[in-house]
Amino acid sequence: MSFNESQSQDIEGATTAIQSQPDSKTRRYDRQLRLWAATGQSALESARVLVIGASATATSILKNLVLPGIGHFTLLDHATVSPADAGNNFFLQGTTSIGRNRAEEAVRLLSELNDNVDACADTRNIADVLASDPSYFLGFSLIITHNLSPVLLTRLADLLWENPSSTPLIPVRSAGFLADFFVQFHTHEIIESHSETSPSLRIDKPFPALLQAARALDFDTMDSTDHGHIPYVYLLVRTLDDWKATHNGLPPQTHADKQNFKSILAAQKRTPDQENFEEAIAQAYRAWTPTVVRPHLVELFNDVTLPSTPFGHLLAALRSFSERPPHVLPLSATLPDMKSDTESYVRLQNLYRAQAAEEREQFRALLPVPLENELVELFVKNAHGVQLLRGARYGALDTAPAKLIMYLDNLTRETATHLALSAWMHSELREHVLTLIPGTELGKKEFSDAFGEIVRAPAADLPNVAAFLGGMVAQESIKMITKQYIPINGYCVVDLVDTWTGVLES
Amino acid sequence: MAPFDLSSPMSRSFHARAILGPKLHDQLPNLKVLIVGAGGIGCELLKNVVLAGFGQITLLDLDTIDLSNLNRQFLFRKKDVKQSKAIVAARTASAFNPNVQIKPIHGDVKDPQFDLAWFKGFDVVLNALDNLDARRHVNKMCMAGNIPLVESGTAGYLGQVQPLLKDRTECFDCIPKPTPKNFPVCTIRSTPTQPIHCIVWAKSYLMPQLFGEDEDSTSELDEAEKQGENAQEVANLRREAQAFKSVRAALRSKDKDTSSSAAKMAFQKVFYHDILNLLSMEDMWRFRDKPVPLDFNLIQSDQFILRGQVTSAIDISADSIPRPANEVRGLDGRPNGSPVGSNGSGPSSSTKSGHGLKDQRSLTLRDNLALFALGTERLAARLTTGKEETILFDKDDDDTLDFVTAAANLRSAAYGIPGKSRWEVKEMAGNIIPAIATTNAIISGLIVLQALHLLREAFDSLRNVHAQFKPSAPLSAVKLSLPNPRCGVCRDAYAFLQCDPSRVTLAEVLEDFDDNLHRTLESLNVTKGKFLSIADEDGELEVITLPSARYRESNHPIDGPPMILPDPLPEPGQRVKSITPRPSTPPSMLPRIQKRPAPDGMDEAQPAKRARIAASSNSSPRTSRRLEEDGLILIDGDESVDEDIVVID
Repeated sequence: MSFNESQSQDIEGATTAIQSQPDSKTRRYDRQLRLWAATGQSALESARVLVIGASATATSILKNLVLPGIGHFTLLDHATVSPADAGNNFFLQGTTSIGRNRAEEAVRLLSELNDNVDACADTRNIADVLASDPSYFLGFSLIITHNLSPVLLTRLADLLWENPSSTPLIPVRSAGFLADFFVQFHTHEIIESHSETSPSLRIDKPFPALLQAARALDFDTMDSTDHGHIPYVYLLVRTLDDWKATHNGLPPQTHADKQNFKSILAAQKRTPDQENFEEAIAQAYRAWTPTVVRPHLVELFNDVTLPSTPFGHLLAALRSFSERPPHVLPLSATLPDMKSDTESYVRLQNLYRAQAAEEREQFRALLPVPLENELVELFVKNAHGVQLLRGARYGALDTAPAKLIMYLDNLTRETATHLALSAWMHSELREHVLTLIPGTELGKKEFSDAFGEIVRAPAADLPNVAAFLGGMVAQESIKMITKQYIPINGYCVVDLVDTWTGVLES
Repeated sequence: MAPFDLSSPMSRSFHARAILGPKLHDQLPNLKVLIVGAGGIGCELLKNVVLAGFGQITLLDLDTIDLSNLNRQFLFRKKDVKQSKAIVAARTASAFNPNVQIKPIHGDVKDPQFDLAWFKGFDVVLNALDNLDARRHVNKMCMAGNIPLVESGTAGYLGQVQPLLKDRTECFDCIPKPTPKNFPVCTIRSTPTQPIHCIVWAKSYLMPQLFGEDEDSTSELDEAEKQGENAQEVANLRREAQAFKSVRAALRSKDKDTSSSAAKMAFQKVFYHDILNLLSMEDMWRFRDKPVPLDFNLIQSDQFILRGQVTSAIDISADSIPRPANEVRGLDGRPNGSPVGSNGSGPSSSTKSGHGLKDQRSLTLRDNLALFALGTERLAARLTTGKEETILFDKDDDDTLDFVTAAANLRSAAYGIPGKSRWEVKEMAGNIIPAIATTNAIISGLIVLQALHLLREAFDSLRNVHAQFKPSAPLSAVKLSLPNPRCGVCRDAYAFLQCDPSRVTLAEVLEDFDDNLHRTLESLNVTKGKFLSIADEDGELEVITLPSARYRESNHPIDGPPMILPDPLPEPGQRVKSITPRPSTPPSMLPRIQKRPAPDGMDEAQPAKRARIAASSNSSPRTSRRLEEDGLILIDGDESVDEDIVVID
């Protein structure tokens, strides 16, 4: 039979219905969607970011937020473009911009990077806005400052910290090759942490259907093809079950036990290189590594002040779930690849799916308030990696001499650099540091290096440092906005003379 | 306000001067920098290099702009799509500072005109490349020319910057790089077991067979036979390849009836007859699941029964093979074994979620059939209109991606392998690496800082830096390692050979080592931009490598000497002994890079050479392997001509 025209039209129609080809926005964002997916992208597109100060560093940060497509940004700066600005800020129109307002010039060029982003230049003086219109700042989902004067910065940080909506604030400071930045937030909820640990397969605590299926396999009557395709999950579950029967119900404990367990697996092979058994031996640790609730979650569960947000309710349900035997998180429906024939793999996958679905319903029943299905599914799927971070107030570290002294001993160069930046803009660097930590010995090399750099290049916004910070700060901003991945918690301190970064936890 | 004085301390260059100190700063306008690549890193880098005050910049890239570049390659706009990256980037960046000279080149860095003489015209080379091949090429040129090089790369949140300088640091090839994964021919052609096997088949076999150049693909099968793959199977595959001829003709037919039936013809051939043919080889399926021949008409009318299920109820994508559609879309949008991001975590959105993207949805068997037919028709139409003679897979060419997605999924269905969405196929077939503006910005800032350290000869400040995306330690920076003493690239001695390759014979070049060969270098394919390597067969001495180039004097007389070699010639270093034991060789065969080659004992040398190649293949790329890859000349103890390697004595 030939392939005639009417069939061809059918197919054309069917394919139009498939609409497999993505729209132009998806194509534009293809390479980043592969990292943070549609959920992350939609969070970015709803974000409203305020950047204070149109310096080279600030525009570098903004460039990296405009390109991936944040919803809106405002650039607030009343200053005019100086010749030095024109030489180091790529988002000014060279010398033509000199004498014009910095925010307006930069916004014009930054907007060209992405039509989908709504942009606004605000030419008011930040000091005036803080005094006359503090609620202005609360309308943003994230605020970033660069080299804002300490007095204004403290006023802004306090304003945001004290407001219940608590817009996150990222103050960035840089001088020459040195810089630090900090993210101020009260709490930060992360469902999609992209944890590198995979969820447990519960080999050590097999659910009844899994144990039953593993026991039901009749190895002896299998032909060698079938025997070579038994998924390793069954092999481990069954071998462990046998082991426990002869070891008072305990899994392998000692090194010798574990070796012994592996030899029991190896002895069941029919050919020396039977892949599924090789996999079972490689994965044997799953038999004696207990499936437990990970410590960071236990810590969260012990936190009595879970927020009354959907995330808080989900965490509360997760706590209740894990308090019941067998004291585990809801099962993940995802199975890793393994040596198997298709039929056995699908059967095993169905067992996990059915059990996961059942446990998800049990979980849902524990929720204090009903929540939408999608959110519950997303949460359960990522349960083993969920995080609730608690942040600190900007500047809190500088008013905690005991902590500073401890850091000075352990993280000397990071602390010295941070203190030098805190003292910066004060005429006497050393005296300012002494007001922060009375009686400190400032003779350390780390201090003289940091002070030296700040004195040498005060406020010089070096283009390559700006480019670097632009990437680092935008990355942390994206983590905050998308609520994916774990942000740096504390001060990130940067020294590009010696090329290092460090973190002073708050 | 006072008038702006550009010579005042607050002039445009104020910051640049502060960073570099007056000495280096004053040199910068005259320094010549080469940026290889104008993509994600290249755009950022060009901006940084301009801002740092470099005055003479050459930017080279062979690629054109694609829509998917715009989320990070900020020198490009939507209107620039399909134009040369180098040219558009140079134009956009020039606007910033008209005093900077940016010379764009739309070309391949491996082209012969970019020979060593050309490379030697730069004070520093900055790599912003995306492929191993070009990286290794630039590395070799920079090692040969002793030019400081900064190498870089990013993948998702991860990135690396590595300054390289001959004799002082490791070179790019001192540490072997993982080679792309290869699959045995028969796995791809007859016995796939994973989605990737079917995708590779659709992209690298079926696509070229139908839409590529008309050539017998016998060499691949010859190779498979040599590798000891099943001879009967290989013979069968040969017949199968032959039978493509009529399908190719139909696809290119201007006759409407023929061309409209071509898609079905192609389908019948590869998903029905070829599979039937394979099934006839019963031995092959004794320990394997048998594939099922697909029936075009039954699939189209939703009446096809695949492994006991009617296909109207089958959704082959997303998770697993044939299962009822409602169940597949059930619990977990994340397909089993789906590709993960470079740092081990892939997109986590569910295909069924409201945010789901169109091309992430799963396709039924019938969808795939329709997509196959449509893709084939579109590609055939492109051939028959005469605009294109051949079409190869390109991840950004939607017709080819549709075709490969559908063909791979149909094959998967036949073999009982899980299907993949178009989105996933694109990533797997296109080797897509996630890429974002932030990582590129971080890395590009670091590249320039390392380049400045190299130019200031502040060798103690050089660092091999990794952006590692750890909240507790965003960067890791380590001091540089010394060259690997067994590196086949940077441990060679290099002698610059300026010559007219159409006149110089190998014998003339090698008169100190050899006296039999009278073929011109050109006839041996040693033209400009190529390397001529003289290896000591016995591995006692390091290799001498002669990068061939045009004469440095532009008006070298036509009757002038056909070649100029440096005087004195470099002495090859003593090679560090391989730890791997190898057959001992008679002392009479030792150093032949000296005056006269040893006259005898050459036959026995052959096994020793093979043993050495085998023993060294998983350490640093030894010269022998490198030579084979590059098609260069190895001076060795045998007169046979082995593929591209000319072995002489």
